Amino acid sequence: MERRVVITACSAITPIGRTKKDILDSLVNGISGVKVLREDDVLTPYIHSKVFGTVDYPITYDFKRQYRKTMGPVAYYACQVAKEVLESAGLDEAFVTGGRLGVAFGSTHGSPTVQRGIYKTFFSGSQAGYSSIGAVDYLKSMVHTTAVNITKMFGITGRVISSSTACTTSSQSIGYGYEMVKYGMQDAMICGGADEYDTTTVAVFDNLLACSTAFNDTPHLTPRPFDTKRDGLVVGEGAGAVLLEEYERARKRGASILAEVIGFSCNNNGGDLILPNLGGISETIRLGLKDAKIPADDMDFISAHATGTKMGDVIEAQAIHNVYGGRPAVTGFKSYMGHTMGSCGAIETIIMTYLLAEGFVVPTLNLEEVDERCAMINLVRVRRECPLRIAAIQNFAFGGVNTSLIIKKWEGR
Amino acid sequence: MTREEIKTAILVFFRKEFEIENPGMEDNLREVHGFDSIDAIELLLEIEKLLGSELTHEEKKRAMDIQNLNQVCDYVESLAKVRNIGNGQVKGVIT
Repeated sequence: MERRVVITACSAITPIGRTKKDILDSLVNGISGVKVLREDDVLTPYIHSKVFGTVDYPITYDFKRQYRKTMGPVAYYACQVAKEVLESAGLDEAFVTGGRLGVAFGSTHGSPTVQRGIYKTFFSGSQAGYSSIGAVDYLKSMVHTTAVNITKMFGITGRVISSSTACTTSSQSIGYGYEMVKYGMQDAMICGGADEYDTTTVAVFDNLLACSTAFNDTPHLTPRPFDTKRDGLVVGEGAGAVLLEEYERARKRGASILAEVIGFSCNNNGGDLILPNLGGISETIRLGLKDAKIPADDMDFISAHATGTKMGDVIEAQAIHNVYGGRPAVTGFKSYMGHTMGSCGAIETIIMTYLLAEGFVVPTLNLEEVDERCAMINLVRVRRECPLRIAAIQNFAFGGVNTSLIIKKWEGR
Repeated sequence: MTREEIKTAILVFFRKEFEIENPGMEDNLREVHGFDSIDAIELLLEIEKLLGSELTHEEKKRAMDIQNLNQVCDYVESLAKVRNIGNGQVKGVIT
């Protein structure tokens, strides 16, 4: 049994805004969410990259203490977007708690802020000792903290999937959620990812010489996917959630349908855990098309992973060209907000849902001079109206994990 | 450490950390205030600060039967007695 799966609600916390209007305004007006890296009084003095995709607007949380007590910052993000998705969808409580709604949600590594507090206790010479580690510290910092804080807050009793695969965390969440609904294991899934402000991630990429360092005084000019002057990625923070529902159920309850998920693929490069792999990425793209049962020529618009690294962007451009040729429009949205890690797949899916509905494409920010090794694909250079029907969201992670999500504009049936 | 000192410290903690205002001393903490196992462990950590010493595993296990605030005060009082903590000698500050 294969069932159709539709997106009926979405919500995001991004460095370029919260609402659809704010996010589209930033995309249309070329506004960057990359700012100067906030001080953490621990690692920042040593990090060469001084830029960060920053959520710098206030977010009002109204969570009761019984929920807050097991939440680190990453779970606040996750529960907020999940709450907004459920409110927007208007699902009745009996369905939410009845076991046919599941959660697929993850983060790169739980809450680094909480983990840092634990280590501080041990290594600061504190006399507080072993028992000073709070009972809730594990619940706040474990890798599935986002998913289970969501289930707790809303009394959700269905399946829980908690991917923690770095940059493919939330694209896997959506993909696995899609498969849950498509094959009848669940009727709906809240899917997404979140990651909080975290300098350890910045330090890791910085040490690998993968972070942007040449634009520390002009953060809005980096990252620069596909541009000749690109010098690495910019780590960021954020969250994104979508509600996936089985189509007939959504139709019968009169849900507002935003887009349809028609394909998903995930594979591994089967080797190096860091370097991008042309064969692996090309195969992921092909497998996504196969799952969607569409030819490559049907693809209109691609959200490239496009982190702005020297090698990654070239490999991705080659893979896109291998499978799609030079026809579909391609944009790298990390150019606007940096790499929001565990949330990037969900945020980019939400952006593509917006753009499919609105019928226009926007350029990769800071793309001034295209690297000739990437010039064979159709990189969007200016905002333009165009009919869009099918879009892909590509994400690739440390560990050699690749995903491709394929969504379709909702045309009323 | 008098009964009144203990009660005051515990009530301050309940208000600040658990957001439980003016609980009845005989209220069933779980049923009336949604107090759960996580809260119980957090409370034990605060009691250790109040006494200025770590609790043994046996002492912690004894706390699992506690259901109301009077029993919490009884528990702390007995621990203070074992540790010879006198009146006015609250060790730590419950935050």
